[in-house]
Amino acid sequence: MTTMKRLWGMSIDLDKCTGCGACQISCMQENNMPIFEDDSDIPKRVTFMDLMRVTNDYQGDKKYGEVQIAYVPKMCQQCSGNNPDPNKAVPPCVSVCPAVATDVSDDGVVSQIWSRCIGCRYCQAACPYEARVFNWWKPKYETDFKNSLNPDVSVASRGTVVKCTFCSHIWKRERDKMIAQGITDINQVQYTPACVSACPTGAMKFGDLRDPNSPVYEQKLKNDPRAVRLLHKIDNADPAEQQRRMKIKNYPNPKVYYLTSKQWLRDILSGFQNS
Amino acid sequence: MKKIERRDFLKMAGGAVCGGLVGTTFSGAPFLGFQWLVEWSQDQYVPTRGEEKFANSVCHLCGSNITVRKIGQRAVKVETANSGCPLCQAMLQLLYHPERIQQPLKRVGSKGSGKFKPVTWEEAVKDVSDAITKLRSENKAQMIAAVNGAHNTVPNLLMERLVMAAGSKHVYTEPCFCNLSKSAVAATQNAEGTIDYDLENADYVISFGARLFEGWGNSARMNKVLLEWKKKNVKFVQVDTLCTRTASMADSWVPVKPGTESYLALGIAHQLIMNHGKSSNLSELSRWSGINEFSPDKVSAITGVPAEKIAEIAKEFVKYRKAVAVAGRGGQCVSSSVAEIAAVQALNALIAHLGKDGNAFIKACPSIPAGVQYDDIAKAGHNNTRVAKGLDDFIKNGEKVELLFLNESNPVFNSVYGADFVNKMKDMPMVVAFGTLINDSAKYADYIFPTLTIMEVPTAQGNAVAAPRYTSKHGGDIILDIARKTEKVKDAFPWTGVRDVAAIVRDGQTRGVGNFSISTDLLKKHFTELKKAMEESAQEYPLVMIPFEIPFVGDGRSLAFPYVLKGLGHETYSAERLYVQMNPETAREQGVSDGSNIYISSKRGEIGKVKVLLTKTVAPGVIAMPMGFGHAALTKYGSEKGVNPREIMNNAIDAESGTADWWYTRVKLS
Repeated sequence: MTTMKRLWGMSIDLDKCTGCGACQISCMQENNMPIFEDDSDIPKRVTFMDLMRVTNDYQGDKKYGEVQIAYVPKMCQQCSGNNPDPNKAVPPCVSVCPAVATDVSDDGVVSQIWSRCIGCRYCQAACPYEARVFNWWKPKYETDFKNSLNPDVSVASRGTVVKCTFCSHIWKRERDKMIAQGITDINQVQYTPACVSACPTGAMKFGDLRDPNSPVYEQKLKNDPRAVRLLHKIDNADPAEQQRRMKIKNYPNPKVYYLTSKQWLRDILSGFQNS
Repeated sequence: MKKIERRDFLKMAGGAVCGGLVGTTFSGAPFLGFQWLVEWSQDQYVPTRGEEKFANSVCHLCGSNITVRKIGQRAVKVETANSGCPLCQAMLQLLYHPERIQQPLKRVGSKGSGKFKPVTWEEAVKDVSDAITKLRSENKAQMIAAVNGAHNTVPNLLMERLVMAAGSKHVYTEPCFCNLSKSAVAATQNAEGTIDYDLENADYVISFGARLFEGWGNSARMNKVLLEWKKKNVKFVQVDTLCTRTASMADSWVPVKPGTESYLALGIAHQLIMNHGKSSNLSELSRWSGINEFSPDKVSAITGVPAEKIAEIAKEFVKYRKAVAVAGRGGQCVSSSVAEIAAVQALNALIAHLGKDGNAFIKACPSIPAGVQYDDIAKAGHNNTRVAKGLDDFIKNGEKVELLFLNESNPVFNSVYGADFVNKMKDMPMVVAFGTLINDSAKYADYIFPTLTIMEVPTAQGNAVAAPRYTSKHGGDIILDIARKTEKVKDAFPWTGVRDVAAIVRDGQTRGVGNFSISTDLLKKHFTELKKAMEESAQEYPLVMIPFEIPFVGDGRSLAFPYVLKGLGHETYSAERLYVQMNPETAREQGVSDGSNIYISSKRGEIGKVKVLLTKTVAPGVIAMPMGFGHAALTKYGSEKGVNPREIMNNAIDAESGTADWWYTRVKLS
């Protein structure tokens, strides 16, 4: 048994994001999103990824002509929580789950087992990113839509919470393929989630946060002036301030990094700007 | 034998019950019971398993290579390998759409009632070919017409050939940058072909309202262009009334007053001629006395762009070695007048970059190389056809036709003359629609022929990704079937299947640009009309409506896919609420606030109800209107969602292209 050395993470270059929506549709197709009568109904629909349109006029101080817009793809940020040891990571959602339906493993992916979920929605309340969705209704796939369902992802039933898992079923699939070829070192396995492989401008990158050769090497990202984590203005703070914030109970410590050269966008995304 | 006391009996019974309970608990039966309860209450559908396979194909919209993951016979995922367009990803939603047309349909109710009955292919094809033969025998061959969808596909070429061989020239294509720029090339260069910008090699790009990264042109190509520009630090200037994502990605966004892009183009031309000694390259423009009307001050007053900015753009435009000016306002739905495209092209001509690396070329349209011998009936028909300039011209002023083909097109939704087109179709004895789903136009057809999705079409290299569903056929094969059943016409179609045709279709060659000349009459007429549109009834209709698109909604046909609906943001459309965008200043003047319900009317009519979203991305005095919504018929997912602004948009037809330039519409809140 090889020890897992990989820690999966993602970076999204917002300066390259055109808002085309390919990532969303790819995610829905891969993860068997339920189809309802009217899926445009935002409070009712189930989707793992939002494509948020944001403007720099969030304080109402900009004039027409100075305004800019950007799109922010937002999915589960795969938090690590405030314990620096990844083997003891406690994301905000995991610590509240009474049914062990959601957990985080040493590969960094915050998992969710639909069928184990009892539907208490504590995790949904605990999530700082609204990345979790509740299935209020039984998913409906009219006759033919059933044909395009992916057998690797179980169809979520009514009364359960679902979320993005970095398409970890693809990781398992790739791992099985490697094992079939006789390669048992799980650290050899590389995989790409559906959204990342669909991104037509290569704005989304995925890989091992600990691997210096990966496009998302954590040490590099943490020192990148363009990088920012969602609601998480900490990476550039001084060590004492970092310590203080690390003690905040729901300190999420996410594994998704956003890259942008626009200061206003970094301000919006990082939140905490006045703390 | 000892008698069992009542007390002992109770003890034993109690013990048995306790033991039983303990035993049951530890046996796991309750847990099994819970599991049954969960399974019963959750009632999950389990997708069938099968062997995993991968099949290759090519997206017909963006030309990207795609790989499709299959489980047994089911296609479950499209992999685009960081290329492709949002529609590549939505392709399976079309392939397995529950409302796909399953076999040829014949109308049984009144036109537009949506009542059809299934018929056999033989019966349907025979009926259509009989109709062609009948019209030809009555010397009414010119009463056959076809409206093609906006892309240059093989079925489009075959459809044109069918109509021409039968004896009519009434073949129209839904408006897109291709056919608008084709008219512009015809008007300025006396050549045939479309404008093809060499954006990959440019080092300075100024786009006049073309939302380059939001569906404009081939989106797979444009995404690569974006990366190329970032790598090479290409300077990109976006001229637009709305702050779109393209404008925000540009190095500089030049906000202009709505509809005045062509004024700005000529303002820059004025600078190039007067200050940068570029007069020799386009003498008719530099000698034109009217050019003085476009001095920086005057243009600044009209466009709202500061005079210094105009001078700066002109300076940069001359300075860069591979500068290019790009025309064609909009994303997937493009609307520009031919004069405007020509005026922007004049900038490229002035700096003598036309036909050079990084500038504009002419691309010939694809064609079928085999010639056609027209018989006497066809020749007579051609002589009798009074060809309209374009689709809108045909709907409004065109002659009566008796047989119409709608080839993967939807003019009822896509044209500002949609309602007139409905009336026209109601008078036609036979309308034949080709398509996969019933749309706004096909609803009025007499026959609907189910066509294939790209997943079911064999590629040049090999097999199709999935077997054709139901009895659907390739659009090209249906046309060949009809042609083969029709005497004389069949001689023009010596092929056994559409694959033979696809193999010989000649792709359009790109070539340099010859002599460019711009008629000053064209410009004069354009600016007179533009001025009229801007000033006419400005008192009664104080606001201007400008369209915009959500990239994955585009022209609206993808609203039939639930996964596209799921992607819509709350600022666009959610549960029966369509949002139009307005500047807070405008809202204050009009007495509305964020979330107000409004009705918008122009001199053509009223649309509503829509909600107001306040945002400063929109210029004061402007309503930004999302396109693609408001289908009367597009499956149960896409129908009746929002409103279609084309019902009230400007319907003045551009004389050169025969297409309505609907970009700029004066409106009011009613």
